[in-house]
Amino acid sequence: MTALQRKRRIKRSAEDIIVDVVVHLVTFLLLVATIYPFWYVIVLSLNDGVDALRGGIYFWPRKFTFANYEQFLGDPKWIDAIFISVAKTLVGTGLTILFTCLVAYGLSTDGLVFRKFYSIILLICMYFSGGLIPYYLTLRTYGLLNKFWVYVIPPMFSTYYCMLAMSFFREHPPALAESARLDGAGEITIFLRIIMPLSKPLLATLGLFAAVSQWNAWSDTAFFAPSNPGLRSLAFLMRGVIVQNQVDTSSRVAMMKAAQYSATTATSIQMAAMIIAVLPIMCVYPFLQKHFVKGIMLGAVKG
Amino acid sequence: MSQSNQVRLRNQTRKQFKRQLPLHLFVWAGILFLVLFSIIPMSGVIIAFKDYNIKAGFKGMFTAPWTANSGFKHFITFVTNRKFSVLVRNTVIISSLKLLFAFPFAILFAIMVTEVRSNAYKRIVQTASYLPHFVSWIVVAGIVYAMFSTNIGVINELLLKLGWIKEPIPLLLEAKYYYLLATASEIWKETGWSAIIYLAAIAGIDPALYESAQVDGAGRLRRIWHITLPGIQGTVAILLILSVGSLFSGSFDQAMMLGNDMNRSRSEILDVFIYQTGLSKQRYSYAAAVGLFQSVISLILVILANAGSKKISGSSLF
Repeated sequence: MTALQRKRRIKRSAEDIIVDVVVHLVTFLLLVATIYPFWYVIVLSLNDGVDALRGGIYFWPRKFTFANYEQFLGDPKWIDAIFISVAKTLVGTGLTILFTCLVAYGLSTDGLVFRKFYSIILLICMYFSGGLIPYYLTLRTYGLLNKFWVYVIPPMFSTYYCMLAMSFFREHPPALAESARLDGAGEITIFLRIIMPLSKPLLATLGLFAAVSQWNAWSDTAFFAPSNPGLRSLAFLMRGVIVQNQVDTSSRVAMMKAAQYSATTATSIQMAAMIIAVLPIMCVYPFLQKHFVKGIMLGAVKG
Repeated sequence: MSQSNQVRLRNQTRKQFKRQLPLHLFVWAGILFLVLFSIIPMSGVIIAFKDYNIKAGFKGMFTAPWTANSGFKHFITFVTNRKFSVLVRNTVIISSLKLLFAFPFAILFAIMVTEVRSNAYKRIVQTASYLPHFVSWIVVAGIVYAMFSTNIGVINELLLKLGWIKEPIPLLLEAKYYYLLATASEIWKETGWSAIIYLAAIAGIDPALYESAQVDGAGRLRRIWHITLPGIQGTVAILLILSVGSLFSGSFDQAMMLGNDMNRSRSEILDVFIYQTGLSKQRYSYAAAVGLFQSVISLILVILANAGSKKISGSSLF
């Protein structure tokens, strides 16, 4: 391959050059189209809100300020929402990983009696659902509505994550658990002390997926906890602000007048909120990339 | 003889089961969960055929009276509703546009990424391409606002400055732009993520095929056409079947975040309607019927797509 490549480098055909140019140009444009919007939101969030309405800001804040973040983080309503989001992300992710992996460990054990029967139940639940309304009514029956637990208990187990974990556990040599069993270790001990520590890539993948879906979820509040103001999550509050701003058709001049006495506007605070919502994800996902790419493949091939 | 064998086998199974008991307990915990949060809700679809009153509680779902027209009253009400055609049209058109544009775009992106020579640059492009997938639709809506709104949108400002437009384009405010907005934002958000699976499929192609093709004088484009594309054909077929199954449902979050009072006529899809009628207006039976209608059509679509794919390409889901 290397010899061939070297040869190719000496006499690259016109087609080669054109393909290279097109590929690099297009991927570069896509890269910019992906990154720039985030950058622009960061810039706006760090710029004086009233000044931003004059336009002309593209790459760097013109009137640098932390006022948007101060205003945002100084509002107890938002602080409470951030607290709820953090709490449900931490508790929810922990429960999901632990419970899903425990079930998947049991199911993936070699020579498990009734495995076929268990798998059929799993598959039925994977492909069919009662839909939103029966689900809502069931949660209502259990008395979960408008309680914190509605955020973390219903998503505790997912058939998709379970399949992913099972295909991962099957890669472990069965002798591993078997020898521990012979040494007298109980199944819980084997699971917690041997299987889980060996499954860090799986834990990283599931942890990322579960945490992102908890952190981003808007509908769990809207569906199942709409009438408890103490349970409003960051994503839920943010939707209110953003959809309201969308339909605000007032001109720049009118918006400037409205914000006469402060340096922030509803829009500039919205930008700060968005950055707070995205920052944790941005800081985490690049480091887990190797794991989740592999995790998806595992799920796709064997699931 | 064979009877004693059978008895021995049964005894063996029993013994094995006893030894595995702790593991079975783990699995039962999962099954119990599925019964509580999946099977019981499934049995609740029965209210689609009944006039359920929420005051009757859980048991009331099963004891409520059947509706007229042998239980199909809510379905008939929905199908004859003047909103029906609008909802179905929006749902199907938006999903079809996504299938038509977002689906091939991800394949194209994967092929382009594999054709990039520098590994460092390839990594940067890939890492960046995953970011929008992890971001919620509400943040995407905020980003769309920052880029395209009439008052702070940077794109409108740029186009005005260049003199290409006279008036800012109200992308978020006019219904006629919504299909474009939904499709484009889907492409922006999910292309990188969807491409992962194709990238892996391409990586699985035997490099010897490329080498021998090159020796035989095939250029880059011909190698892509004759080796890469056939190499990922099976993956494409499977994903296509799955997408066809979702033609009759839409992205609820997207519609809730990018839809507003101004573009309602194009942004309202079945999933939004179910939420609003069911939970906001509390017409539980009616909304459950709409949901059931949607799932049945989706199921039929998957089965049809699967049969079609089996006939044409030989790959199928089941």
